[in-house]
Amino acid sequence: MKFLCIPCDVKMEVQVDGIMPEEKQNLAMKFKCKKCGHSIAMLTNKFETEFVSKLGVEMGGPSDISKSPMAAVSSSLAQAKEELKSTNPEDDLIWTEEAEQRIKKVPFFVRGMAKKTVISFALEKGATTIDAKLMDEVREKVGM
Amino acid sequence: MKTYEDLEGDGGSNIIGQVVQLGEKLRSRLDKIKHKVALMSGKGGVGKSSITANIASCLADRGYKVGILDADLNGPSIGHLLGVGNDQKLETKDNGVEPGNGHQGIKIMSMDMLLKSADTPVMWTEENDATAVWVSTMESTAIRELLADTNWGDLDYLLIDMPPGSDRIDNIRSLIPELAGAVEITIPSMLSQHIVTKSITKNNKMGVPIIGLVENMATYICPHCDKEGKLFEGEDVQKLTERKEIPYIGKIPFDTRVSQSKSGNLFYAEFKDSITGKAIAGTVDNIENFIKK
Repeated sequence: MKFLCIPCDVKMEVQVDGIMPEEKQNLAMKFKCKKCGHSIAMLTNKFETEFVSKLGVEMGGPSDISKSPMAAVSSSLAQAKEELKSTNPEDDLIWTEEAEQRIKKVPFFVRGMAKKTVISFALEKGATTIDAKLMDEVREKVGM
Repeated sequence: MKTYEDLEGDGGSNIIGQVVQLGEKLRSRLDKIKHKVALMSGKGGVGKSSITANIASCLADRGYKVGILDADLNGPSIGHLLGVGNDQKLETKDNGVEPGNGHQGIKIMSMDMLLKSADTPVMWTEENDATAVWVSTMESTAIRELLADTNWGDLDYLLIDMPPGSDRIDNIRSLIPELAGAVEITIPSMLSQHIVTKSITKNNKMGVPIIGLVENMATYICPHCDKEGKLFEGEDVQKLTERKEIPYIGKIPFDTRVSQSKSGNLFYAEFKDSITGKAIAGTVDNIENFIKK
């Protein structure tokens, strides 16, 4: 699927650091026209979201999450072994239990993007801990 | 206005590229495995996993490098049968997860090895509104990852212990188009044969080669006098194979020691000279002959 900005006649690009999907698997993805800056959002319901999940791919390109083995299984199982949890050495931020649970509810194929959005926001703000309040602020900021 | 073909790429996600990459990863793993065999039955409780484990034991005894993928995600038992407990630490590397090292060096991968504790069920969300579509989606993804992200190494045989039912074979067939074939397993009961017939018909329609039908628990061997007796009243299973035009490749008697091996080893490794052990070996002869053809 591609999106075209009709007035500019150019392809719209997915905004990889601007996604904060709803945790109930309804998804909103933003696309932006590089030429005029106009943004649109593609909205999917949970069934459409689940269908895309089957491909095992990530929107916005592969993130660190998908590079680790058994990525989809380990990040989707309600209770997986500790050894399976992927670690990102660049990520020194502390995630509270609630924040971790909330990000886990984001569908796998957009979780990398959502995580990136939250981390960028936290770093920009100088926060060292990501909690539910900060995630609400992110959602407010990206307009989802 | 530009059309779909005029626009390069797909908006930044490179979905096709990712799908290709996933396929290549799976392929590089499967190319190191000579023969892939699915063991299945439409019916649960016919001893599928036990037969799979003992066929693996027999192949390993013959000098083959063997692995088992436990595709029964919700009722995994291969780890238990092969001596790989849930408490065994999982070794993960950048290029994959190390398989469990079972009896006789048989490599295994099972959902049980990935779960937090032995009594943890496979749940894809702890929310109570998980849809059937979501569960089915995650199960397909899990099978792909268990196959592609396990460091199987070079194997002669990968046995796939299928869950009860015939639905998962679609998934396996699309992931492993070069599947050598399926071994169907039934017990002599009319009910079991009735359900296994559906699985055979489905495989025939899908073009999945059927290696043959194994009749498990065909008879009962008395542990004191080695006399055989009937366990189930039912139609002759050989007649079913004639009707469905598939080979009858094994008649395996029930032996109480199958689940009670004192050493913890697999039954075949310990009792290969027993009546049941010889029947397992005969079944493996038939599987090997089918593959050699």
